[in-house]
Amino acid sequence: MEKTLVVKNLALAFHQERRPVTILAGVEFEISSGETLALVGESGSGKTLTALSIVKLLPPQARLETGEVRLNGQSLTSLSEREMENIRGRQVGLVFQEPSAYLNPVFTIGNQIEEAIKSSLSRKEKKERVAQMLAEVGLDEKHYWHYPHQLSGGMQQRALIAMALINHPSLLIADEPTTSLDVTTAVQIISLIKTLIKKHHLALLFISHDIALAHYFADRMAVMYAGRLVEIGPTRTVFNSPRHPYTESLIACLPEKYKPGEKIRAIPGTVPDFANLPSGCPFHPRCHRRMERCFREEPEMFPVASALVRCFLYGNSVATEPGN
Amino acid sequence: MRRYIVRRVLQFVPLLFGMTLLSFLIIHLAPGDYFTQLKMNPQISPETIAAMERNFGLDKPVLVQYFYWVKNILTFNLGESFAYHVPNAFLIKERLLNTVALSVFSIMATWMLAIPLGIYAARKKGCWQETVLSAAAYVGISLPSFFIAMLLVFLAARTMVLPIGGTTSIFWTGASLWEKFVDYLRHLLLPGMALTLAGIGSLYRLMKNNFLEALGSPYILTARAKGLPPVLVLYKHALRNAVNPMITIFGYELSGILSGAALVEIITNWPGMGRLILDAVLSQDLYLVMASLLIGGFLLILGNLIADILLVMADPRIRLR
Ligand SMILES: Nc1ncnc2c1ncn2[C@@H]1O[C@H](COP(=O)(O)OP(=O)(O)O)[C@@H](O)[C@H]1O
Ligand SMILES: [Mg+2]
Repeated sequence: MEKTLVVKNLALAFHQERRPVTILAGVEFEISSGETLALVGESGSGKTLTALSIVKLLPPQARLETGEVRLNGQSLTSLSEREMENIRGRQVGLVFQEPSAYLNPVFTIGNQIEEAIKSSLSRKEKKERVAQMLAEVGLDEKHYWHYPHQLSGGMQQRALIAMALINHPSLLIADEPTTSLDVTTAVQIISLIKTLIKKHHLALLFISHDIALAHYFADRMAVMYAGRLVEIGPTRTVFNSPRHPYTESLIACLPEKYKPGEKIRAIPGTVPDFANLPSGCPFHPRCHRRMERCFREEPEMFPVASALVRCFLYGNSVATEPGN
Repeated sequence: MRRYIVRRVLQFVPLLFGMTLLSFLIIHLAPGDYFTQLKMNPQISPETIAAMERNFGLDKPVLVQYFYWVKNILTFNLGESFAYHVPNAFLIKERLLNTVALSVFSIMATWMLAIPLGIYAARKKGCWQETVLSAAAYVGISLPSFFIAMLLVFLAARTMVLPIGGTTSIFWTGASLWEKFVDYLRHLLLPGMALTLAGIGSLYRLMKNNFLEALGSPYILTARAKGLPPVLVLYKHALRNAVNPMITIFGYELSGILSGAALVEIITNWPGMGRLILDAVLSQDLYLVMASLLIGGFLLILGNLIADILLVMADPRIRLR
């Protein structure tokens, strides 16, 4: 199948006062058209930065050290900011976590959707296009004239989805689109996204800290820990038989895995500080299956069944790129 | 939105009345029998006293006097100046015009410079341009307006490039309208510059910070993610949000036209309301003081009203309240 998005060996570092702090290392994945890849991991693991790296919308101190991003066969790595403006919105749409903050409070919904239109249409055609898009995301035509604060969180997220899809991009990146919404609304937004990607045959990068939610609607799943992908594969494989101890713990901690009366489980330890990553495999301090070499060396991704897993339980080679 | 504006304008009326009462009481509740003082003041002719007695009911109780006064205000009779022996309305009209001209000039100059400079500095954050501008703003903020005015007067006196004091040159009578205008403007330049320099620093700093804050907002990321060109991201999405909080400041500046310019007027000898009020207070020209207070208060309320209306037009979140 044709790959819509190919991310190869992405490494990102923050260049602040003293030495650079590496956040992402060796991040690699692909998304075919019509396919949904879920990127999961605890908050602070680097999911948002991965998404922003793809469209090169990084904070000023962040720099891509290595890696290549190909979108519909075109490499984005060497493109200028000017050329990226043409890619953003047109070929890839983004939806973020907190809809109320991501809408500009002083412009109407209609205005903000309409300005995103990239093809040169007449005013009237643009209005029609927006009206059609509003209907598609389940908003009323009257919302065209409304300001963001007049809409509920769910409706705001619908407006942002309309904005992201108005140019019919081939890739949608949704960064925790339901995290700030209540459960009922979240379910509605998820099913809306599902409908839309099916209808437009969109590739979707779905970012979530919630592995259960990701499992519910992704074709494939990538698990991120401390800026590294530790496991990637078909959702069924990863979710039903997790190989990496981290994935295993994530799934074991899900509320639905509890028996009545059982105490809440959490992965012991805390998310590491990027400025002082543990030596070897960054997960080893929290790992219940660590071996001696995990303290010293960082593993490569090893193929296991239909998945790739970054753990010495499944192979011997040491990673060349990740780490320092 | 229209309803909100109508409501605000209606609130304006009782406020105005409250203000007349306040202006009146401040003067009349001051200790001492002020009517007898008037009569004993050799500067005031018996005819003036008699006329004012009739018009303002000076022999009546204070509360009745107040209503006489309000009635007179409504017909633009602000009483007669004891010191100048002309109607106060006449005095105030000319002086007020000068003050308004000065304030409009300096407010326009301040805003037209501070806003672009603030945006420029925000975009050059961390570069030497920002450092230089911010250092200059810091100096400007620390110097009081009267000091800047004195400095400019001193410079003007040394270099003779700008006239000092007054609104006109001697050749005034023979000049054409255009020449008169240019001459007036030349006289305005010195106090105008003093006020502008005194006000620009804080406004610049505010604009820079607002713009930076707007630029760091999530909706800017949305705008960029949509692939909008920088012009739209900066001057549509960021600018509108950065300017909103400034609108209230603009209202305050309108409110403070009289008080804000007074010191500079006095130092640069610009014949505006500041000078007039000071002289009136010193010479106990009571009705002139009351009338000036009234106008000051009127501008204060009007400024707030304009600010509120502008804010409502600019910010949809307030519009619905
Ligand atoms: N602007 C920034 N400056 C410095 N560090 C940052 C910045 N943004 C993110 N980081 C670092 O990168 C890490 C990953 O961030 P992020 O991609 O937002 O995580 P996630 O989306 O998985 O919660 C954070 O834990 C933080 O340490
Ligand atoms: Mg995030």
